[in-house]
Amino acid sequence: MRFTVLVLLQVLILNKINLMWWTYPPGFPMFIPYIYPLFILLLPFETPVWTLLLAGFGLGITIDTFTNTAGMHAAATVLMAYLRTNVLSALLPRNMSEYEGLQPSVKNMGWSPFLVYSAFLITIHHLVFFTFEMWTFSGIGMILLKTFASGVTSMLFIIAYVLLFTRQSNSRA
Amino acid sequence: MHNFILLIRRFFNLILFLSLEIVCIVLVSGTQTIQGNDITSSANAVAGVVYKKQSDIVEYFGLRKMNDSLINENARLRQLVSSFKTLDPVKDSIIHKEWRGGDSVKKYVRYADFVYHTARVINNSTSLPDNYITLNIGSKEGVARNMAVISGSGIVGRVEHVSAHFSSVLSVLSSKQKVAAKLKDGLTGYIVWDEKNPDILLMTDIPQQAKVQKGDSVFTSEYSIFTPDILIGTVENINVNKKTGMQLLYLRSSTNFRNLQYVYVIENKMAGEKKQLEDSINVKTKP
Repeated sequence: MRFTVLVLLQVLILNKINLMWWTYPPGFPMFIPYIYPLFILLLPFETPVWTLLLAGFGLGITIDTFTNTAGMHAAATVLMAYLRTNVLSALLPRNMSEYEGLQPSVKNMGWSPFLVYSAFLITIHHLVFFTFEMWTFSGIGMILLKTFASGVTSMLFIIAYVLLFTRQSNSRA
Repeated sequence: MHNFILLIRRFFNLILFLSLEIVCIVLVSGTQTIQGNDITSSANAVAGVVYKKQSDIVEYFGLRKMNDSLINENARLRQLVSSFKTLDPVKDSIIHKEWRGGDSVKKYVRYADFVYHTARVINNSTSLPDNYITLNIGSKEGVARNMAVISGSGIVGRVEHVSAHFSSVLSVLSSKQKVAAKLKDGLTGYIVWDEKNPDILLMTDIPQQAKVQKGDSVFTSEYSIFTPDILIGTVENINVNKKTGMQLLYLRSSTNFRNLQYVYVIENKMAGEKKQLEDSINVKTKP
């Protein structure tokens, strides 16, 4: 369900919006925010690594099919999925097995660990994706610039999505 | 053997990770060639249908703009027709031409080389290094690989993948293809794109001594896959490279790649024969 929503959101809306830096300095590229890696970020804590990898590959190939970039999104998403477990266990205060049945979210982790977790993985994803896309070392400044611009906007979209689509806790009512 | 299985079990995740990455890299390197693969491109059935559904809905919002562009194109074509009034009118893509040699006037029939298929753009991008456009017609309607695609106002690209009902077009906004072009006085060069602004195209290989002015028009040349004399753009800026002695022209593209809606796919009836002839020469000259 979330898979379909995120893929359609990415392909039908976000890929059509070409963002510019608002002061428009010369040579600054247009960029697109990528929100679909959120699917991997929000899978439950106890998901085994091989499931994460296969899910990442499937998700990436789906996006690749829509954007004619065979394998680029897939490669970035698989790497992100592989690193997810390590990042989570480094950030969480308790052992991973104590979070049975929960999924990473602001509610379960707190604001700053969740933001660090998603920002780190999104940066990795964007870096790998843009490296594949440009595929030159001479363009390394451009790669970093695109990663930065796209990463910041992706994070804004991810925060918006998380705020909009997580259920409020019942304890408050 | 037992140890080997233990080893695989221990590093199963790492092995899976590496093999998936290798699959991805193989897929990527497959698309770096001109033809690429058809399975993971937007010409396949699922992506095509999704894009078509979206385009069916979004289309209504641009009808006024589309009307305007069609009226402009009609006006241009009427003007062209009026300059050909001395010739016989075009009948079913057959052109009757007069040939004057000496005193006699001979008439001969020339079959038009080109057939135009109209297509609707159902997906479009301008921000990637290689931009693709998906069209709503495919091999059932007669589209094949390497056909040229133009819009009412200029050039668009070349068909790269075809399925039964959809096709995906590699846009001129791409590092993968060059378009042969000429200036008004016959100087030829190549059109490339610098991956930055979708309104600006670059024209290379113009010698320094050539006199080019701002506002000059650039057209497709006879050697390109497009039909000759299609407007590409007008010169906006001129940059001289002192080392190579070549000029680099910045063109304002006449096609607006941001809101393409209807395009024409050009089928060249003589392309097969031309290719066959060229190939036969290549076979002979090889030892």
